[in-house]
Amino acid sequence: MPQQLAIIVLVDVGNALTAESLKDNVYLFDNMKLHGSEGEGTGDLVTAINGAYWRDGSQASEQVLNWLPYSLGSIPPTVPRGYQADRARQSDQEALDELDALTSKPPAAGNDTASQLAKIRKTAGTRVKTTRRTSGRMSGQKILDVTGNVVGEGETHAYSYPGPVITDIYGQAVDEKIIYPAEYGSPDLVTDGWYWSATVDTSRPGTYAYTMRIQLHKLVQRSGEILWEPVNLTCESRLRVTAEPRFNAFTGGGMGLLPIPPVAYSYPAAPTATDETGES
Amino acid sequence: MTAKPRVQPTAPKRPISITAVVDCVGALASDSMQGNLYFYDTNKAGGSAGFGTEALRTKVSRGDQLLWGVLALECEAFVAIEGIEIDRDICEPVRKVYPGTDVAYWIGTVKKDTAQPIPYLIRFQVGTRVEPITTTTPPMLVG
Repeated sequence: MPQQLAIIVLVDVGNALTAESLKDNVYLFDNMKLHGSEGEGTGDLVTAINGAYWRDGSQASEQVLNWLPYSLGSIPPTVPRGYQADRARQSDQEALDELDALTSKPPAAGNDTASQLAKIRKTAGTRVKTTRRTSGRMSGQKILDVTGNVVGEGETHAYSYPGPVITDIYGQAVDEKIIYPAEYGSPDLVTDGWYWSATVDTSRPGTYAYTMRIQLHKLVQRSGEILWEPVNLTCESRLRVTAEPRFNAFTGGGMGLLPIPPVAYSYPAAPTATDETGES
Repeated sequence: MTAKPRVQPTAPKRPISITAVVDCVGALASDSMQGNLYFYDTNKAGGSAGFGTEALRTKVSRGDQLLWGVLALECEAFVAIEGIEIDRDICEPVRKVYPGTDVAYWIGTVKKDTAQPIPYLIRFQVGTRVEPITTTTPPMLVG
């Protein structure tokens, strides 16, 4: 049966950055548990890919893998696309409104302008500087905490890590031409517009390993500027490809006509007088 | 008169995020969370255990902020936390939303240290099912 298989790569970004490794800091899932996948929710997932072939041995269906990288303990991927940019704009507007209110006040004794400016600075939050290396989807964004609020200067300890990004999929399964991965654009709201996908050649059953290169981002302060510095790490997973002759999953038999069992047809009885009057 | 020790302002700690990954299709098919729920938190370095199981043991201490969230195993599926049943003397989680969205999270502060593990239950809204599905094996907060 042709299937879209989803593989979720859940990364404990904070611990992975501390350990500088994805080992024990990545948890993998797929939606094929009922079809034989093993190690769900661990770093050692074996994804079951059940292929099918026609009578002549040719591949009968195409299995498609999709990878979804998520960050553990960050703002969830279910918030609207561009959420970080929206929050940056909202906080700018709030800061401008507060500044407007401050300047429209008559100068009077007791107005502590410095503390009000400090409050506005807090509302405005901290914008991340981007360099040529770090520009892209995080350009001009502000630092948000895990509840979606902007983080002010000096409070950057509670920031939410940006989601992990898969930048490559390679290894045995690719070298042996079992999977053909590539990155595609997508209107899907949860993947920031991009996702990795691969079709699978199920004609050669076996267990094949593949490696994902995953980019995380670490918040660093350099020359008085705050930057998201990319950190590239790798983790491995496996695919177990099986293949069997194509069959009808309703009847368990071979492929043929629709799986509707023959039923002797009987003509409906002629309507009676009570039926016509609507009485019972 | 003795002077009170001056409390140094300390940077607030990052909240401990507790994430439930729910296999919505499996939960709806079996009317149960058993085998369809995987818990994780961000305090592994602090001593949390039971990752990837329903019986997560989150290591906490007084003053820790806890933030519960949920992820669906398939991005088209809907899942949300409807309620968290926990000893109110330990923590009172409240539902909040990310500003400008209707995406919810639950947040609460650990009120006191505890020697005994504190089990709690989470009720999940799954798909279009009216009745929530509750955890079968309680996750715990451990001191």
